[in-house]
Amino acid sequence: MKMTPELLDHLAREYVLGTLQGGARRRFATLARQQPAAAQALQAWGARLGRLGETAPAVQPSPQLWRGVEQRLFGAPAKPVRWWQRAGFGFGGAFAGAALCALLLLPRIEQQKMIDEESLPASYVGLLSDAAGKPTVLASATRQGHRLAVKLLQPVAIPSGQVAQLWALPDDGGAPRLVGYVPGSGKAQLILAGRADAVFAKVSRLAVSIEPAPGGDAPAHPYVLSGACVKLW
Amino acid sequence: MTTSADLAALLARVALGDRAAFERLYRATCGHLMGVALRIVGSTAWAEEVLQDAYVGVWHGAGSYDASVATPMTWLINVVRNKAIDAWRSGRSQRNATVALDDDAHAVMAEAPDSEPQQLLERSLQSLSITSCMASLTPMQRQALALAYYRGLVHSEIAEVLGAPLGTAKAWVRRGLDKLKECLLAAGIESC
Repeated sequence: MKMTPELLDHLAREYVLGTLQGGARRRFATLARQQPAAAQALQAWGARLGRLGETAPAVQPSPQLWRGVEQRLFGAPAKPVRWWQRAGFGFGGAFAGAALCALLLLPRIEQQKMIDEESLPASYVGLLSDAAGKPTVLASATRQGHRLAVKLLQPVAIPSGQVAQLWALPDDGGAPRLVGYVPGSGKAQLILAGRADAVFAKVSRLAVSIEPAPGGDAPAHPYVLSGACVKLW
Repeated sequence: MTTSADLAALLARVALGDRAAFERLYRATCGHLMGVALRIVGSTAWAEEVLQDAYVGVWHGAGSYDASVATPMTWLINVVRNKAIDAWRSGRSQRNATVALDDDAHAVMAEAPDSEPQQLLERSLQSLSITSCMASLTPMQRQALALAYYRGLVHSEIAEVLGAPLGTAKAWVRRGLDKLKECLLAAGIESC
């Protein structure tokens, strides 16, 4: 398929920005490997948008990351035995045996750690009930997550053309902040405007109102659901 | 502080299979790249997985770095962003939905109140000296651009976060990109 330079430019920029998704994203990646004009557009936008990432604050990764990179590229790292050497434990055959043992054990310990982390519970949990006190919406987010998982425990009637808006109510009685839109039934992943620990930092209650149109900054109608929002850990 | 020229020299040596240069490149860039990945995938364990993939890719692909096209950091950021975006969307996020952040990284992130997308964008525009050129964008256009770039959100997600129709969110992103290109060209920083 022949593409105009303008179309290539537009695909390239959305690819680099990340807003090109799914099949279109994969097709453009393939195209950029085959067509010099597409590759050139990609490079130009990579250079432009890459500049936006240069000033983002750094976060130090754990020492395990470098060991993992080394292990994948060059085989098992030698570092885990060092403290034994310093501590003066064992030498000769006994030492070699212990060191080998440590090397064999390391990946398993790390695997175990990964499994444990995956099974950790959500940090923020909210349970909203209806006017009759029946639990209706369960909301949860990990501490640093950017998403709030919402599960409807019973359906909520949302009139056609209207929306159910979820609000975070600050402890200090400040203005409610819009969290997102709740479906009438089933589950949803709401995208948070920031990390959960920022969005829910000083929030002790959540509430839902039915509004005639999305986008309002404040609830214009009474809450149909409300409940506590707690930080578990 | 490792300069861009230092990083370019390290990358050139990595392309020749120099492991010591690779470790120095890692030490000089891992913190910054971790920050980039973490903002997109939102969990430390997962961001480290993305970074591990990225550095393995850098070891094998350092030869494809072209200094006439991008600075080394720009190139590395693009490698990491692509991996983070692909990882996030491949659905691994759902499997790992309950992976939590360790306390150290949590503390680091909490100490950076200016790390929200809009502020990151403002800071970048300032460092590129194109703040005034970008001033004609509306706050929503800037926010849409920032959410896409720093959080890796797609149009529908941006629309949801900003409470706007999908078409409007798309137009905000397009306008933001148009203006960014125009401002970088006007400032003479189109290429490095």
